[in-house]
Amino acid sequence: MTLLVRGPLSELLDFVRRDRLSGAGAILLATLVLLCLFGPWLPLGDPEEIGIGPRLSVPASGWLLGTDELGRSVLPRIVDGLRSTFLLAGTAVVLTGLFGTLIGLVAAYAGGFVDMTIMRLVDILFAFPPLLLGILIAAALGPGGTSAILAIALITLPLFVRVVRAVALSVAARSYVIAAEVSGAGFLRVILVHLLPNVLGAVIIQLTYALSIGMLVESELSFLGLGVQPPDASLGSLLRLGSVYLTIAPWLVFPAGLLLATAILSVNLLGDGLRDMIDPLRGRPLR
Amino acid sequence: MRVVRFVLFRLSVALLTLFGVSIIVFAAIRFVPGGFEDVVLGPFGTPETREAVRAKYGLDRPHLEQYVLWLGATTKGDFGTSLTTGQPVAAEIIRRAPATIQLALMSTLLAIVVGVPLGVASGVTSTNRVARAAGRLVGALGASVPTFVLGTVFVFVFSVWSLGVTVGGYVPFFEDPLANIRAMTLPVVTLSVFGMALIQRTTRDSVLNVTSETHITAAVARGERPPDIIRGHVLRNASIPIVTVTTVFLAYLLGGAVIVEQMYSVPGIAVYVVQSVENRDYLVVQAGVLLAATFFVSINILADAIYALIDPRIGGQRRDS
Repeated sequence: MTLLVRGPLSELLDFVRRDRLSGAGAILLATLVLLCLFGPWLPLGDPEEIGIGPRLSVPASGWLLGTDELGRSVLPRIVDGLRSTFLLAGTAVVLTGLFGTLIGLVAAYAGGFVDMTIMRLVDILFAFPPLLLGILIAAALGPGGTSAILAIALITLPLFVRVVRAVALSVAARSYVIAAEVSGAGFLRVILVHLLPNVLGAVIIQLTYALSIGMLVESELSFLGLGVQPPDASLGSLLRLGSVYLTIAPWLVFPAGLLLATAILSVNLLGDGLRDMIDPLRGRPLR
Repeated sequence: MRVVRFVLFRLSVALLTLFGVSIIVFAAIRFVPGGFEDVVLGPFGTPETREAVRAKYGLDRPHLEQYVLWLGATTKGDFGTSLTTGQPVAAEIIRRAPATIQLALMSTLLAIVVGVPLGVASGVTSTNRVARAAGRLVGALGASVPTFVLGTVFVFVFSVWSLGVTVGGYVPFFEDPLANIRAMTLPVVTLSVFGMALIQRTTRDSVLNVTSETHITAAVARGERPPDIIRGHVLRNASIPIVTVTTVFLAYLLGGAVIVEQMYSVPGIAVYVVQSVENRDYLVVQAGVLLAATFFVSINILADAIYALIDPRIGGQRRDS
């Protein structure tokens, strides 16, 4: 008898087959990320070159999605913009993931005064409406990519900590954790060896949702002129600049908007699918 | 009595939260690039004038004393004077409040009125594969299109074909109700789509969870009519997550209003706060963020009271998930 060892690839294929919608989201997201990674080597044109075609020209060969007010090709510019959006939101979400998981685990396992203090601080962060926290940070630190990253991290942190803590609390009460404590496992060992692997599922689900919120917030801040500053551009700031010419050159706006919505949709679909897979008892219809 | 005690407990936590918020908001404005005196003087400050400004605004005093003075004035409704117009910030905000309040109320109402039935529909039909996928796709789509992208599409479409609504052209409701509704339709729809999706998704999930419970099977076995089951058994049990997600939407709405007010030239508080970031009118930003946080915290207390009213099991213990 052969022992069947399933590699990550067959797991992935299985996921795509079982849940078509989320599979489509995963494939779409992978495609967009690859497009951003390899964009500079694809024959899309130079995003910065001025006067590659006439100003505000309709789509044509050489500038497949038209040109902007300086005669720059729109197609490579929106690919660049998507890369900025992914990078800023992704960096922020990695920060949230690291700190949120750590803080949530410590709060859950330390309990008592430490837990209470952490959760009250989280409440304070949670009291700020998302975009307004971003606006406050942009006002205090000046608009720019760093402010946007900090804003997204602080906006997504409270929910992250709450979810990790809630899951960790239920895990910490299980008998194998108590057994580990009895056999002398210290604070760090319990947290890292016994709790962390069991909250990872919840962490991954929250990461995808945080990424989608992060992309929304980043593009909204940039649309308001409080995110990335010229000469850098993200999809939000491209839409901000393009909407000036909305009626005469709609190609400056709609491809960027469509790309942004598609990217966020792919992240959301993936998140839904992961949630259904990791937490299969939720949201199942009666058969 | 149980509900009252529960709300009182939440109220004290909320006050503590707002205290923390006020410290952050106060401190954030101290971080302003160049310092506050640069904002007042512009690029022409000399060391002497800078010192004079610092003395005038009390910036030379210890931070703690500044904070106590500021908090004292703020709780009395004195948010200082706008540096751009020279008017009290509170008066400027009150003048812009009606538009934002109308926008928020109408968007929330529309989001609930559309989102809940849509969620129930996609919940009860999800035994069908196609309907299940459609329900998921609609929810994910609505939550994925950024407000400003949707708004841009609307502005484009409705500037070409008017179809009875106007892009911009805000008039106060009590001046000309009809023109007001015509101008507010697009902002309200744009803002509420995200809420519709959020509420649809949550309603769908909780309907799915409730319908797999045994008391629903029992109701079906008793021969109750499906509409009665949905109203009497499913919706009541599913309503707590719906209340939660509505408060989440309200928090989002306070930010989304910024974008919508700017796009459709609605003279509200939200867009005023953003313009004040550009004008470096930091007292307005401070007041706006503080007010928004106070509003959101109050809404959460209200939601807690509603939970306790809907579900007799809630009260006393903390809500954690």
